[in-house]
Amino acid sequence: MKLLKLISERMPDSKNILAVYAFIVTLVYSWTLFTSFYKLPSWLFYLSIGQILSVYAYAFSFDLLESLIALTVILLLDFTVFLFLKNKEEFQSRSMILAGILLGTSMLRLALFQNYEDITAFLSGELLWWAIAIPLGLVLAVFAPRIKLVRTIFEGFAERATVFVYIYIPLSLISLVVVLIRNIN
Amino acid sequence: MAQITRRDFLKLAGGALAGSLVSSKLTSLAQGDKSLPNIIIILCDALSARHMSLYGYPRETTPYISAFADRATVYHQHYSGGNFTSTGTASLLTGMFGWKHRAINQGGLVLPEYAKTNPYSLLSTDYFKFAFSQNPWSDRLIGQNSRAVDKFLPVTSYSLREENPITRIFKNDRTLASIALDDFMIPIQGDTAGSAILSTYYKKKAMDTFLKDKNNSARYPDGLPEILIGGYVAPYLNESVYNGVYEEVSQLESNSQPYFAYFHLFSPHFPYSPRREYLKLFRDDFSPPIKPIHPLSPKLHKDFLNSKRTAYDRQVAQIDEEFGRLIAKLDKIDALANSYLIFTADHGELFERGFSGHGFHFMYEGALHIPLLIHAPGQSSRSDVHSTTSITDVLPTLLQITGEDIPTDIDGKVLPNFGGAENPDRPIFSVYAVDNSAFGPLKKCVIAMRKGAYKLIAYLGYKNFDEVFELYNIETDPEELFDLAAKELDLLSKLKQEFQSHLEEANKPFVKK
Repeated sequence: MKLLKLISERMPDSKNILAVYAFIVTLVYSWTLFTSFYKLPSWLFYLSIGQILSVYAYAFSFDLLESLIALTVILLLDFTVFLFLKNKEEFQSRSMILAGILLGTSMLRLALFQNYEDITAFLSGELLWWAIAIPLGLVLAVFAPRIKLVRTIFEGFAERATVFVYIYIPLSLISLVVVLIRNIN
Repeated sequence: MAQITRRDFLKLAGGALAGSLVSSKLTSLAQGDKSLPNIIIILCDALSARHMSLYGYPRETTPYISAFADRATVYHQHYSGGNFTSTGTASLLTGMFGWKHRAINQGGLVLPEYAKTNPYSLLSTDYFKFAFSQNPWSDRLIGQNSRAVDKFLPVTSYSLREENPITRIFKNDRTLASIALDDFMIPIQGDTAGSAILSTYYKKKAMDTFLKDKNNSARYPDGLPEILIGGYVAPYLNESVYNGVYEEVSQLESNSQPYFAYFHLFSPHFPYSPRREYLKLFRDDFSPPIKPIHPLSPKLHKDFLNSKRTAYDRQVAQIDEEFGRLIAKLDKIDALANSYLIFTADHGELFERGFSGHGFHFMYEGALHIPLLIHAPGQSSRSDVHSTTSITDVLPTLLQITGEDIPTDIDGKVLPNFGGAENPDRPIFSVYAVDNSAFGPLKKCVIAMRKGAYKLIAYLGYKNFDEVFELYNIETDPEELFDLAAKELDLLSKLKQEFQSHLEEANKPFVKK
């Protein structure tokens, strides 16, 4: 009973969760769009506009899945590891810091080790990368949100990022339909 | 008992006859027409005829293929439609030159209007149609028409990697799904992945295979052979791949239906990593002719080129032996008694003029001259065709031998020995145009035109190398050592004119009005 009460007291509301999701969506989709610009010139050489849009449909469907996975991981952490912290007030900025550190590390690794020759370094260095990133993320996630300025910055960002949810999610749902139609027997 | 009138009798008889015809047609459709021959195409990626002892290469690279040639038709002047997989394979499948099918870019696709001009759509529905390509780029070309393929193995089949889930999940849209996911969202190598989270996991999972297979490295001191195309990586062993080909053919043989089976095998494509025993080969004093460094080449040193050439020759020797083993096993199950077996390549490989490999601006013989051997059902003696033929000729020949109509808009002609005539006046084109849009006229490209004894190479649109022409007499100078462009001015002008009129014609549909 005590635990249930604790959970209900500290559970973030849907608005906060949406703000965190908006941040994740912004990062995940922006990364895809950013990397696609390197591909676009070559696609324009051999794919028709319809085919390019279909490629984006696959990419956005993939991003939808990926953003939901990222949100699930963040929520799981919040409902387990961080449950005993002041979850309601600091949930938003803490989750955004966590998402930022985890996604940022992943993106940086991908950008630095993209060639075949780098694969050994990509794999062998993985432990070290995460050994630095995870504790750093956890420490920042616990302590940074206690600073009001940090909370204000993240909340402001989340507020502005919410618009991307309303752009990317409907786009992803249309993309999902496109992918389904293309694969119907 | 009711009496049957004459009219009723005729109705019943007519119905019974129609019923029996429909039933026999249905049975024939279900079981396939057994009178049709099977067709097996075995294509070795990047196998240059110039490196095969069968075609006179000084190193004994292909004794087993030479033995197979004793019961096949051997084409001695067979040319690819391009110098890398997309253009070459698309020319084989569509029967068209690159400037028409337009799979001219790396990983490029055939124009949608020609996506069904290939054996999978054009051969009778009586055929069971099978496809397996180890090369993702040719897999995508077949994938453009995947609904016409009855069994389409994933690229990873018979490799050391687990099955690629993408081709399984998106089997009806294999080509675009592969471009979107394999190349862009979750590539294992190459460009930065478009997926920030799952790509890391996928990359790690795929690469685990490499670590798992370290125990094979004793047999492969130069590393395992690998498919490294686009974002795609898959290590494989040629012995497993050729065993896989045998397994698939024996399975197809056990069905009652005639079959068309296309195997696009990756070896001897680089990286050249033959098995340990082949590393002992060709420690000789063979020294290829020294050729001038090409201005567009990376100017690699000749010693480096020779070491690459030797590694490639060893890889060729390994696949030759694998092929020999495969043929012996197919003979045991009598698979060739009612089958055409076509052995060929999509393009060749070069180790000269400061360049090693393929898919660059070089349209010399090593890159374009490819093998073609066709064993007809029950054939027991060798036949040789010395006239010039093109990779585009394979499709019309398949249609001819199976009694199908040949589309009028293709460039290929039925091969001599299978109903076609030798035509020394016929020009054959090979196109390299990766720097062009597939949807516009060709302006920046290298095109080779082989006609009779001569070969014209045209470089168009390159900075400081525009409108440059080379001319060789391939019959007297097969190594292309003597450029005749400055000496044979009349001949050059005549061939240039012919080339330009063909290019203009090919560009017409793409010129904006």
